[in-house]
Amino acid sequence: MKLLKAVGLIAAISLGSALAQDRTQTLIYGGDWSDLITMDPQVSYEFSGGLVTDNLYETLVKYEGADLSTLKPGLAESWKVDRGRDTWDITFRLRRGSKFSSGNEVTAKDVVYTFERALAIKGPGSFLFTEIAQLKPGATRAVDNYTVVVSIPKTASPGSFLSILTFNIGGIVDSETVQKNAKGNDFGKEWLTNNSAGSGPFRLVRWDRGSQVLLEANPNARIKPKLQRVILREIKEPAVLRTALESGEIDIAEGLTPEALRALSNNPRFRTLKADSLRLNYLGMNVKEGSPFANKLVRDAVRYSINQDELVNGLVQGNGTKIQTLIPKGLLGYDPRTPYTFDPARAKRLLAQAGYPNGLEFELLVSTGICGGGIPCADIAAKIQSDLAKGGFKANVKAIANAEVLRTYRAQNHQMVLVGWSPDFPDPDGNATPWADFNARSLAWRNVWNDPTAIRLANQAALETEPAKRVALYRLLTDYVLKNGPYAVLYQPAVPLGLSVKVEGYVRNAQGQVRFENISKLP
Amino acid sequence: MFFVVFVAWGVTFTTFFIANVVPIDPAIAALGDNAREEQIKEFREHYGLDKPIWQQYLIYMGRLLSGDLGNSLRTGRAVLEDLKEFFPATLELSVAAFLVTLLLGVPAGILAALRQNKASDVTVRILALIGGATPVFFLAVLLQFVLARQLDLLPVQGRLDGFTFPPPRVTGMMGIDALLARDWAAFLDSLRHMVLPAFVLGMFSAAILARMTRATMLEVLSQDYIRTARAKGVPGRAVVFRHALKNASLPVLTLLGGLLGGLLSGAVLTETIFSWPGIGRYVTQSATSLDFPAVMGVTLLVGLVYALINLVVDLLYAFLDPRIRYA
Amino acid sequence: MAAVVPANRPARPLRRFLRNPGGLIGLFLLVLLILVALLAPLIAPDPISQNIALRLQPPSSAYWLGTDQLGRDVWARVAHGAGISLRVGFGVVMLAVVIGVVVGLLAGTLGGAWDNLLMRLTDIFFAFPSLILAMAIAAALGPNLNNTIVAVALVSWPIYARLVRANVLALREREFVEAARALGAPWNRLMLRHLLPNTLTPIFVQASFDVGGAILTAAGLSFIGFGAQPPTPEWGAMVSETRSYIAEAIWAPTAPAIGILLTVLAFNLLGDALRDVLDPRGRD
Repeated sequence: MKLLKAVGLIAAISLGSALAQDRTQTLIYGGDWSDLITMDPQVSYEFSGGLVTDNLYETLVKYEGADLSTLKPGLAESWKVDRGRDTWDITFRLRRGSKFSSGNEVTAKDVVYTFERALAIKGPGSFLFTEIAQLKPGATRAVDNYTVVVSIPKTASPGSFLSILTFNIGGIVDSETVQKNAKGNDFGKEWLTNNSAGSGPFRLVRWDRGSQVLLEANPNARIKPKLQRVILREIKEPAVLRTALESGEIDIAEGLTPEALRALSNNPRFRTLKADSLRLNYLGMNVKEGSPFANKLVRDAVRYSINQDELVNGLVQGNGTKIQTLIPKGLLGYDPRTPYTFDPARAKRLLAQAGYPNGLEFELLVSTGICGGGIPCADIAAKIQSDLAKGGFKANVKAIANAEVLRTYRAQNHQMVLVGWSPDFPDPDGNATPWADFNARSLAWRNVWNDPTAIRLANQAALETEPAKRVALYRLLTDYVLKNGPYAVLYQPAVPLGLSVKVEGYVRNAQGQVRFENISKLP
Repeated sequence: MFFVVFVAWGVTFTTFFIANVVPIDPAIAALGDNAREEQIKEFREHYGLDKPIWQQYLIYMGRLLSGDLGNSLRTGRAVLEDLKEFFPATLELSVAAFLVTLLLGVPAGILAALRQNKASDVTVRILALIGGATPVFFLAVLLQFVLARQLDLLPVQGRLDGFTFPPPRVTGMMGIDALLARDWAAFLDSLRHMVLPAFVLGMFSAAILARMTRATMLEVLSQDYIRTARAKGVPGRAVVFRHALKNASLPVLTLLGGLLGGLLSGAVLTETIFSWPGIGRYVTQSATSLDFPAVMGVTLLVGLVYALINLVVDLLYAFLDPRIRYA
Repeated sequence: MAAVVPANRPARPLRRFLRNPGGLIGLFLLVLLILVALLAPLIAPDPISQNIALRLQPPSSAYWLGTDQLGRDVWARVAHGAGISLRVGFGVVMLAVVIGVVVGLLAGTLGGAWDNLLMRLTDIFFAFPSLILAMAIAAALGPNLNNTIVAVALVSWPIYARLVRANVLALREREFVEAARALGAPWNRLMLRHLLPNTLTPIFVQASFDVGGAILTAAGLSFIGFGAQPPTPEWGAMVSETRSYIAEAIWAPTAPAIGILLTVLAFNLLGDALRDVLDPRGRD
């Protein structure tokens, strides 16, 4: 051991020069970034892709800090919504003097190019533009160098469109640089996969796939970051993540186990953070004809069989919060009521009433991956399985690749699934319509739950502009779905983070956005 | 050479067959939960997933002949690009692990043979037995915990310290690139990062090699000409190095081809645990998301490398053993 | 086991086996494992019953090997896992032997173009990186223990095909076979009466090694998520599920890992001893 230590010491000394280089100017952020497949803001629809591109590209409007309800100026210094004849016309006034990393100024033509580009490329997130905002090609016009008008149909909501613009799909690209690097008709898609051309505080210097992303301060940016360099280091194993943080290999670790989080919070060198998310982990029950779950009593029996307190406090351990209704905490209309308590005797009675006095056997589909809050889905499933057994159910867990779970779920071929859902944009409608409206062909459809009351309430609430009335409608809807719907909501996961105490200014909003420019490091 | 081509064809045919025996939907795998039905339809059309299987196979083979391995459904890139990106890391790790295998396995085997049934022989044999039976994935997790976390001797993940600026990418092998850039600090750092994964990966084959070396050395040492040499007064050490080692190298060489191939397989587990950006981790992630073009690309590449290694071993064999001649 | 030892070798091999310390240790371990596997329901509690409040508890008199992240008894899971590992190991090897023997016999007896085709097929499977191929098969079939067995067997059979074919070819030239043929004995009877029994010894020796290898490969597949389904107490899956908690509960991944180690060790030792005893040509 002594010999090994000596070898390590010599190596460390010889490396001293390399390691000493401006540690306070470099931030290393470790986490599972394995879903990172592109750096193109109009293509990326993964969490890690958003995390990076949000710092490479600026949007017209944005949210600041953890607040997801107040839009703040981004590249646009002001904007207004006008009622046209059959359209909403949204006028953006760009601020002067914003520059891309190339040195080009950000002007109206870049905005037009970006929006047309998003529509032409049809990336995985393009439905935000085409379906929710119903944006058409040619609907974005440059009035002058600093004024852009976007027209969307009356049937779309301007509020939703503005909130979509805070996402990376609305990240404005440098049209000249991108066109210069375009191949054929690809709108520079291939080039932007590995390069950046934005006006954000950082620019992409190097991306070693599967290993790390290296960002450096954008010299021409309007927003000057406090750090020169940010590195995203891909580490999937929670145990490795913890070791890397403790040994100083990384400054921030995202995705730690509850135990690691507790140990770090007792260590003065680190602090911990449970960042909010808008995700809900839930059980989906297929209620198609002939399925045992078609009987409302059986669904109630499932809800009474789940020991949610033990799940949240014992297994998830504060990496998530208890919730039973369909709108997550953090959005308008969140309903904190939790009327279902763990009552296996009652569950058994309900099952008997429903015609299953000897219990009920079925298959519970679950992904082999991590389920939010840093807990493997299989562990959650094993816990649910053991709870359900007390209520008279025999759940056979089938853990398969996430893609397989989704395929079965989408084909309505499941009996019960354990999955998660995050809204497409930070608005209660991002949950209400998919969960309640069968015709939206989303979650209600997958569980074959076609309920006129739920559909009517969801549609009404979506179009309501008066906030108080909207809240009242969502109250009705969440309560109705809780008692009649095909779901049993399990918990709202938080993102467990460990940070070196030297790191200051880290804020992660519930959409997973982190503004690197506000982060600094003490020596 | 014909054999290599034949193997390559067999490998692609088999994986293609496997990939299509079960109805799986790579479109959902690639697009995720929130994707709309129209997007899924477009994706299937774009990648030709809506065509009958035999047509898909013909298209795949046609492309393959022109060197196109198709596109990964997960990363959206050409599989060939992905392989170029990830293979060097695996090659680097495998070579390092191979050195571990040689440097641990051969001396341990010789030592054990020369001191048959003495304490050092028994130790080597017991270690080799345990080494050959330890699950690699557990050894990795354990060493990470003990050496990297408890003792803080070695880095626990990655190929380079985050604060070390990576050398320009030339070969994709971090150590070589650092040497090319004459960046000694980065070179040493990359070696430091290689120690744990290379040891973990090489240990299993080192155990097998030690046993094999010991066995062949014992056999050679007991043969008449060695005894004669010893009787003639040739000193013990010279006997070992001049005669015994040379003769023992042949069967060991046969084993090495298989071992190097085995390392490529072992990389699947090791790379996953050490966040090593090689094809082992790539293929695991691809299989998890049912990205079969990528899985086929990796199997094809590894199958080819394996066939090539065996070809080289055969040639070396002929070189070392004059009795074998290749036409 | 004794039935497989050819009758024309009297008690000598048994005595030699008894004098082989490695073989005895291997046999002892294997018997122990089989006992644990058979008696698990009697000597260990329920492997899937949970008590979240007592998660990640260190070993104690109540929980001999501590508890895991769901508060399950690690000893119970390790004990019940023994049977699973043995089933996987034997299942894989039996399936691989059946495939290999059929292919080898066909190649050896049919000869000519068929021989060529079958052996090239064998070469292809030999050239495959076994874990990667097994992973692809398991991913396509869908992960569960039976599919893992199939996947590992599909990458393990070529060695038997080669063994059998080589033996068939060698035996064809032997005098007693030629004599029997000259007397008009039909091929299929010859195969059953002479060729197969003579091939059994090397197959048996090879198989005893491969059980350990199969258990290792299957555990590796379970580790990366292409194997046993939760809450099955499969050892590889147990290491995988508990590895994130190694800092708090080192016993949870270590206990099943030692289970794998001892099982593989048992089969490797047995294989060594059997080769020494039954197949003197292949001796160390």
